[in-house]
This record gives sequence, structure tokens and C-alpha cells, in this order.
Amino acid sequence: MTEPSLLIQSAWLIPALPLASAAAIAAFGRRLPWHGAEIGIGAILTSLLIAIAIAWETFTTVDPAPYEAAYAWSPLGGGFVLELGMLIDGLTAMMFLLVTLVSSMVQIYSREYMHGEKRFTYYYAMLSLFTFSMLFLVIANNTLQAVVGWELVGLCSFLLIGFYWEDKSNQDAANKAFLTTKFGDVGLIVGVIVLSAGMFGLTDTPFNFLQTIDAAVAGELSTATIVLGMLLIFVGCISKSGQMPLHVWLPDAMAGPTPVSALIHAATMVTAGVFLLARLFPVLAQSATVMAVIAVVGVITLFFGGLLALVQDDIKKILAYSTISQLGYMVAAIGVGGYTASVFHLFTHGFFKALLFLGAGSLIHAVHSNNISDMGGLRRFMPHTFWTFTIGSLALAGFPLTAGFFSKDEILVAGDLWAVNGFATGTAVYWVGLAAAFVTTFYMARAWFLIFMGEHRGAGHADAHGHDAHDDDARTRTTRTTHDAHDDHADHGAHHADPHESGRQITVPLMILAVLSIAVGLIGSPFAQEKPNFESWTSTTVIAETTYPFLAEYAAAGTGIAAAAAEPSAKILHGPPTWHLDLLLIVLVVFSSAVALAWRFYGRGLPAQDPMMRMGGLTRVLVAKYGFDSFGYRFIVVPVRDRMSAWATRISNDVIDGAVAGIGTTTMRLARTTYTVVDQRIIDGGVNGAAFSAAWWSARLRRIQSGDVQRYAGALVAGVILLVLAFVAVR
Amino acid sequence: MSLVGPLLLATLLFSVGVYGLIARRNAVLVLISVELMLNAVNINLVAFQNLLFPTDVSASGHMFALFIIGVAAAEVGVGLAIVFNLFRNRASVDVDRVDAMRW
Repeated sequence: MTEPSLLIQSAWLIPALPLASAAAIAAFGRRLPWHGAEIGIGAILTSLLIAIAIAWETFTTVDPAPYEAAYAWSPLGGGFVLELGMLIDGLTAMMFLLVTLVSSMVQIYSREYMHGEKRFTYYYAMLSLFTFSMLFLVIANNTLQAVVGWELVGLCSFLLIGFYWEDKSNQDAANKAFLTTKFGDVGLIVGVIVLSAGMFGLTDTPFNFLQTIDAAVAGELSTATIVLGMLLIFVGCISKSGQMPLHVWLPDAMAGPTPVSALIHAATMVTAGVFLLARLFPVLAQSATVMAVIAVVGVITLFFGGLLALVQDDIKKILAYSTISQLGYMVAAIGVGGYTASVFHLFTHGFFKALLFLGAGSLIHAVHSNNISDMGGLRRFMPHTFWTFTIGSLALAGFPLTAGFFSKDEILVAGDLWAVNGFATGTAVYWVGLAAAFVTTFYMARAWFLIFMGEHRGAGHADAHGHDAHDDDARTRTTRTTHDAHDDHADHGAHHADPHESGRQITVPLMILAVLSIAVGLIGSPFAQEKPNFESWTSTTVIAETTYPFLAEYAAAGTGIAAAAAEPSAKILHGPPTWHLDLLLIVLVVFSSAVALAWRFYGRGLPAQDPMMRMGGLTRVLVAKYGFDSFGYRFIVVPVRDRMSAWATRISNDVIDGAVAGIGTTTMRLARTTYTVVDQRIIDGGVNGAAFSAAWWSARLRRIQSGDVQRYAGALVAGVILLVLAFVAVR
Repeated sequence: MSLVGPLLLATLLFSVGVYGLIARRNAVLVLISVELMLNAVNINLVAFQNLLFPTDVSASGHMFALFIIGVAAAEVGVGLAIVFNLFRNRASVDVDRVDAMRW
């Protein structure tokens, strides 16, 4: 192993800079000409440069060894060491690149989008802190540090989702996001503890990623530890990465400013769960159970999450559900052994989802409405947003040669290979993935037609003059609770001035992301057969050499394909991507049929009644979001709020307050007694008594000093006589 | 010669001196009473020296008596000076009325 370059050794700067910038913005951002934005943008661009350099170095070095450095701290003495460190490998470098790039685009974009917003400086400080949190999670070399970053991410997302906290509904959304993800965090923390407990006897640093992975691969961890630990960690990923049934917070998280949504969905929040699964992939690959659970959750999410987007009118909601669906793809890919595919989809999805959200922000900025029913015909008014959004949509829909195509196909191929290994989940990922691709294409085509084609339907407030997109956010959120996404374009028919293209600070990030949405696919595509490609970049020695241990057992037991362990697919890496012409054909058919269907419904503008709203029971189920929200409201929120909180209040008021008050009263009484008895009587009495007795005695004794010399002489003589008598008597 | 005579004389003188010291009002007579007491002691000293230790060449009793006479002279000198000053200030030598040094 060669000495890592100075560049890699200074990777800690990447998270450090946003942290410093957050502090600096908070300290004196308000007084700067750009109100702190220049610090945030400058810091994140510097981080981006370092990240690009590191990404380049790790990318071009074939089979690099991971670089690890840590400060060790052993609070309990020997045998137990906590670390604050960094682990730099291809996966870290990839995440660095993704997070810093999306974050810098978002920060540049936000300068125009959030212009004139109150709390502008606070917003930029939060963006920096958010980015730092995610980078801190990514750079972590141990699970405990990852948990810290994970929680910081959750906190920052809470603060940014609730950015417009003047509105109760936005507070509710922030609370919902925080509490839902916090529920999963409990699982994560317990899972981390379980894993570290398994590691405890083996090493001094039980939380270390690499050591945990090595121990798991070497079979030193018991099956129970791996299954329990990884499933609990996966609970954390379910909540963080918006998997069903804990996805409910993600659509509501749209209450935040749109650039924040882009950040959450592309880089800093929902990717955390998938990243952690990828980081611990060799561990979870030890257990078929864990992989099956992950795959099932992923498949359910990728299909049913996507269906929900069909009935949405709010562009941000559509994108939110598409994120849930795409995250389902990533998680499902992890579950079917598609490590590279999952990470690759994470990577490409980050770019095109950031592009779509920022594009949606640009649209919302122009028409002052979130609803696609209020848009229409915008391709003429907003040409840059139009073509960039189109590229993003194509990438999301998996149109051939876009980034989304390559990464999604990798996932489907991974499912196919897993099916060859004899797992039904592989088959499910393949076919459900294809069906969901149809759904994805359809809802994106629907949105695209309704936004850009036809005539502008006009929307927004007659007095719209500023940057009040959040008003729209709030309004549509209220709409959502009435379960009617279509009742609100009637009440503001006032004709609004023609929408206009956004400024350069919005369109340039869109263009950069659009170019990347196509370009980044190439490094993981069949065009990149030779190393270095995406697979060699993000794999490590461990991943390259590990096989699935359970495959051999299955082969021995006669289930699955015999001697599967000897097959190349028993390896985690599938080798360089190859062209799958059959799949390409199917994808093309799926794509064109979905677009054709969307064209048939929406090609001539918004129909009098949206066909998606005329699907009878299916529409009702989808509009009700499968009842997760009402179920959660009735069986979690209401019991907690009405029963548990009442009990908690009672316990708080009666027991805790009583105890506190009791302690207070007792203390007061004790103090008063001490005052009256000890202080006033004993101490003061002693002092005063000494004084008074001295005065009393001196008043009497002074009479002896009469000034009469003869009396003194008499006393003297009497004394002498007494002494003599005493002397004689004693004698 | 017996000790009884000198001792009786000394006792008588001393008692008279004590009485005078305590009872007389005139400061001069108080001083004289003190002289009486001192001389009673002198008689004792001389009597004991002569009658009990006649061969003692150091004659400490006599020596003491001589010292006491010297001290008594000095004492009378100081005492009379005080009395004179007292008289000059108060036109009286009554010790009962000299009680300024009291509480």
C-alpha cells in the first residue's frame, strides 16, 4: 500500500469548510453585502474543487486501498476506543462529489430563488450546516460517527422543512419528518449497538466500518448479530430513505423551500440510508434473510410509491413520490446484490433529481403556483427551464443514453442475475422494476405535457409581486388534507402576467445539472468497459473479493441454481456493464407506450377531468395515499396526542412537578427552620449572649474600682489575712 | 533575750499601721502609718537576725532592714510630693475625696 497523497489526507477539509462557513454565516453573515451567501457559496465551491480532485484521483487509481485516519479516544481506558475519523475510498469520493456538487448548485440557485426572503442569512447557514452534516456522515470511518452525522442531517432537515414556520402546516410537516425519521433512528442506533456488541471482543474499536466488514466477511460475527443488527439499521434506512411504510414524511417535506427539497432529495438526506446500506454491504451480504427483506421493501416502495405520483397535481409532490420510487430501486438493488447498480443509481439520480427539483422551483418561481394544472404552455416562456427539465424527465424515465437509463438498467440486470441465482426477489425486481418504469415514464410525461405543452392556463395571485412560492406551498398543503388535489385552481382565475424565464443564477445551475444528467451515466455505461469505470471506482478490495456465503449452502441444499457459488454472479461485482439489447428493446417499448398514453390523455392540454381522477377505486386509494396518513393519524398521532400526551401531562404535572414542588417546599421549610433555630437562636443568641453577659458582668464588676485607695488597702489586708489563714489551714 | 517582746512590739506597731492606713483620712497620716508598718517589719528582721542567727556574718536581716529604711525614705519623698501637689490642687489632703480614678 502506497502512502496516500496529500490530497486524500486533506479530505477532511470537505466537511470542515461547510461547517466553518455555517459558523461564519451565523456570526457575521448579516453584515455582508450578499447576506452570507458569498461565504456559503465560496466554501461549498472550494469543497467541490477538493471533491473533484479526490474523485479524479480515486477514479483513476485502479483498485485503490481505502485510506483511513482517525483520532482515537478511549473514555473507559483500554479495550474500548471511540474514533473520529475519515474513511476515503471510491464510495466516499463519489458521495463527496455528489453532495458538494448538488449543494453548490443549490446554493448558487438559492441566491436568486430566495432573494429578499427574510431569514435569508439563516437559510444559508442552515444549507451549509446541512451539507456539513451529510459530508460528516459520508466521511465517517465508524458507525457511531455516522449516527452523529445521520442525526445532524435529521435536525437540519427539520429546520429547513420548517423554514416557513409561521405557517402551522409547515410546522406540522417538519414535525412529521422529524418524528418519522426519528422513529427509524431508534432502530439505527440499536442496530449499531448490536453490531458493535458483536465486534466488542474482537477489536478495540467496535464501531469501525472496515473492521466490522472484515469480521463479518471472515465469519467472526454470529449470524444473529448480522441479521438483527443489519435489519435494525435497515429500519433507520427505511425512515431516512423514504421506504414504505415510513415514506410518509417525504411528500410533506415539500413544505420547505424548493431548493431545500432538491438538496434533501438529491444529496443530503434521503441518500443517507442507501449510502449506509452500501457502506455496510459486505456485512448484509452475509445473510440471505437481510437481503430478502431489503429487496421486498425496495420492490414494494419502488412500485407503490411511483403509483402515488399519478394523482398528484403539485409538481413537487410528483417529484417527491418519484424520489420514493427511485429510492425503492436503489434499496431493491441492494437487496438483490446490485451494489454497483444501487450506488450508480444513487449517483445519477442525485443529478437528475436535483435538476428536476430546481427546474420545478424555477417554474414555481415563474407562475407562483405549485400545481401543474396552473401551468401549461411554459415551453415558450421559459426555454432554458424547458430543455433542462426535459432532460431531467428523460433521465428519470430512463430514456436510452441518459444517466437514468444506464443506472436503472444496471438495477434490472442485477435483478435478473439474482434471479439466475435462484431468488424470487430478483425476478420481482426485474419485472416490477419494468412496470414501475412504465409508471414513472407516464407520470413524468403527464407532468411534462401539462407543464410545457398546450396553452398557458394562467395562475397565481393577481397581486403576485414577490417571492411568495411558500404561500403556494402552504396552500397546496392545506388542499392535500382535504384529499382533493383539484379544487384550488378555480378560486384564483385572475389573469396573471405572462410567466417569464428565471435569471441566470437559476438557469445556469440547471444547465450544468442537465449536462451532468447525461454525462455521468457514461462512466457506468457499457461505453466504459475498461477500468477505470464506475464499478472499479466504488468497489473496494473487500467487495471485489467477497462472495455470498449463503449461495454455496443453497447449492448444497439443492435450492437455487446448483453450484451457483461457482458462477461469476456469486461475486458481488457483476463486472463491467454490457449491452443488453433485449432489455434496451423492452425499455424503449415501455417508454414509448407510456409517453403515447400520456400524449393521448394530456397531449392537448388539461382534459376537463383528469383521467387519473376517473379510475374509480384505484383513484380513491391513491388519493388517500393507501391510507398511510389517515392510519398513522388515527392510530399513532391521535393516541399519542390524546391519550399518551394526556398521561404524560398528568405524570408531568402530578408526579414530576409534585416531586419538584415537594423538594422545593421541603427545602424551603428546612431553610426557614435553619434560619429561625440555628441562625437566629443558636448563633445569633450565642453572639448576643456573649455581648450581653459581658455587659452585665462589667456593670457589676466595675463597682470594685471605686477609686477609694483605703478600700483597696483594706481589701489587700483582708486578702493577705485570708491567704495566711488558708496557708495555716492547709498546713 | 526572748523573741516575744520584739515580736509583740512589731505586731502592735504593724496593727496600728494597718489601722492608720485603712482608717485615717489625712494623707500625711496614711503615709506615717505606712512608715509604722515598715518599721514593724524592720524590728522583726533585726530581732530574728540578732536572736536566731547571731553568728551569721552576712547579717542579711540587718541588711534588709537598712534597705527598707532607704526605700521608706524614698517612698516618703515621693509620697509627700504627691501629697503636696494634692494639697496645692485641692486645698485638702483628705484621701476619701481623692477618688477621680474610679469607673
